[in-house]
Amino acid sequence: MPDSSSPTSVRRRLRQGRDRLATVLVTAGGIGVIAALLAIGVFLAVEVVPLFWPTGTTQAVSQQALWLPMEGSADPARYRWDPTTTLGTDEAARVSLVPLAWGTLEAAAWALLIAVPLALGAAAHSALFMSPRLRSRLKPTLELMEALPGVVIGFVAGLVLAPWVERHLADVLAMLVLLVPGLLLAGGLWSRLPPRLQQAMPLGWAGLWLVPWLLLLLSAAHALSPWLEAWAFGGDLRHWLEVRLGLDVAVRNAIIVGMAMGFAVMPSVYALAEDALSGVPRSLAEGAQALGATRWQTLWRVVLPAASPGIFSAVMIGAGRAVGETMIVLMASGNAALMTWNPLDGLRSLAATIAIELPEAGPGGLHYRLLLLAALLLFVFTFLVNTLAELVRTRLRRRYRRLGGGA
Amino acid sequence: MSAILRHCFASSLLLVMLGAPQAQAQAQAQAEEIAGTLGAVGSDTMAGLMLRWGEALTRQHPGIRLQLQASGSASAPPALVAGTTRLGPMSRPMNEAERRAFIERHGYPPRQLAVARDALVVVVHRHNPLESLGHRELDAIFSDSRRCGASEGVLRWRQLGLDRPEGRIRLHGRNAASGTQGLFRRIALCDGHFRPEVNEHPGSAAVVAAVAEDPRAIGYAGLNHLTPGVKALARREAEGVRHFPDPEAVRRGDYALSRDLYLYLNHPPGESLPAAERAFLDLVLSPAGQSIVEELGFVALPEARRQRQRQRQGLVLDEAGR
Repeated sequence: MPDSSSPTSVRRRLRQGRDRLATVLVTAGGIGVIAALLAIGVFLAVEVVPLFWPTGTTQAVSQQALWLPMEGSADPARYRWDPTTTLGTDEAARVSLVPLAWGTLEAAAWALLIAVPLALGAAAHSALFMSPRLRSRLKPTLELMEALPGVVIGFVAGLVLAPWVERHLADVLAMLVLLVPGLLLAGGLWSRLPPRLQQAMPLGWAGLWLVPWLLLLLSAAHALSPWLEAWAFGGDLRHWLEVRLGLDVAVRNAIIVGMAMGFAVMPSVYALAEDALSGVPRSLAEGAQALGATRWQTLWRVVLPAASPGIFSAVMIGAGRAVGETMIVLMASGNAALMTWNPLDGLRSLAATIAIELPEAGPGGLHYRLLLLAALLLFVFTFLVNTLAELVRTRLRRRYRRLGGGA
Repeated sequence: MSAILRHCFASSLLLVMLGAPQAQAQAQAQAEEIAGTLGAVGSDTMAGLMLRWGEALTRQHPGIRLQLQASGSASAPPALVAGTTRLGPMSRPMNEAERRAFIERHGYPPRQLAVARDALVVVVHRHNPLESLGHRELDAIFSDSRRCGASEGVLRWRQLGLDRPEGRIRLHGRNAASGTQGLFRRIALCDGHFRPEVNEHPGSAAVVAAVAEDPRAIGYAGLNHLTPGVKALARREAEGVRHFPDPEAVRRGDYALSRDLYLYLNHPPGESLPAAERAFLDLVLSPAGQSIVEELGFVALPEARRQRQRQRQGLVLDEAGR
């Protein structure tokens, strides 16, 4: 009909216009984000250049001072970060970024060591075994944990957790010794329960079975710790560590940072890994079970490989966050630029150093540029981690696509 | 804790607008002609002091507001050079490079005005039996360069002749690049280097809090941050005299770890100060201004020095009006 066609065409043209506008806006937004990212990198690089190729006003810092140990130094700490006291004097510059990079990686490693097993275990359990009702409660709670600001976690870790752990070192050790085998034992006990009880608490709810055991084991650890300390460590664990192993115990140490940052990283690793695991088509798992695989075999041989790209990127995102996290490390690490293997020593990260020192460093000065170099290092590092994660993820995804697994 | 939270935002501007609308009624007749906004950029140690002085000034002259940006002493010289502010509170004197930059830009040196005294105290846990430290011992504890002449480093409490607390001494201090850390390094470490083990906190309050919860800890902090949880140590000089960091010793300069707090002014020589700035300096050096200093835990300037400063700045000498 000719008379109804004209309003339709107007409407169509309007819709096309709207679509085009949306496309332009989305494209502009995407390009804007990429441009902003590039601009940050370029800005940092440009600001850092005078460190190496001095212009008239600033002098250069030698590569050796940045990356190599101090020469002819008698003291054991040969990598030193001490820019304010040595720059602009005739002393050898102590501006090694090595201890800061070390601290950053050490903190991230401890955080991942604590977060990844817990997060992946929780993800596998909640995606595959947990009852939907329990899962619908658990997931939002863990996501709420993710929204907790780093300052709050750092505050609690540095001012509450760290002194407590320091005072109750033996308790913490006893917990470590008791919890892992104790909880495994409790899990095994569940399968031996009389069938009537097992029906009252099916596999989906078995997680709750562990809660009383957890409380019991914690109080047992607390009760046993003085005895353990007296029996194995001559009454004073700290003294024993110092004399036997030569380890000093700092109040704010790498373990505390790892615990706090692990807590911060865990929810995001959990959420991504859980999505990846529950994205694996049920048909795969059901097929495996129909062929006679146990639940455990299904998880280990079928579901985990199919979800591995997603799990890998979850861990990498966790690593990226742990490397860049500032406030937790700033408040819980003690900011001592040490380079030791002792997990009970303090550490200092690149991000925390930038946060503390940049406000006091005069713009354009040598110290300022050094801090920007540290920022560039962080930028490059997270860029590499994320790129690597993406590459591995696409490759793994291609390999497992024939399984029909999504990620 | 507030110090840490403050530092979370230290790189952004900390803008504090001051106003005291309730003071309108008590306005003095001669005061009403002075009005304007004073901008100040600089030390965070002096932030509380500047705020209180600003409040007192607005009470006297309701037309004047003080706008403060407190992001560290190092932020004052660039702001003064660029002309974005005329007042720069600093917790340390300007160094040569900063001074030179100012003269290059403006053609005259900045005016320096000491406005209060502050001291650094060495603190230990309240149950620590230690009462005093010699200057060599202090250097041997905090530094590994030992430029003050100690023969060996002090790592354990036992080396100080104490059997309690046991174990290693845990060191706490301010972050690198802060004025406080610089002063401690210059005086207590004889320009040496801190041990890398020193825990660096982004504020004196955080140092005191860390020391208060650990019997093995020692730290240094600004005098005005002392809490009941920690004990301040006296300083033993070479002749065996002990100086406790009490206001009297700080004012006289007997306690070596003390310093002046400064206001720097961009003020061309020969010109008279703008009325608002003049009123502010007047207030700062007046007994009322100095009693604010004492209230906040700093130490007031001795009377004679205050008079000298007032004369040098060409401020009015009568104090009858205040």
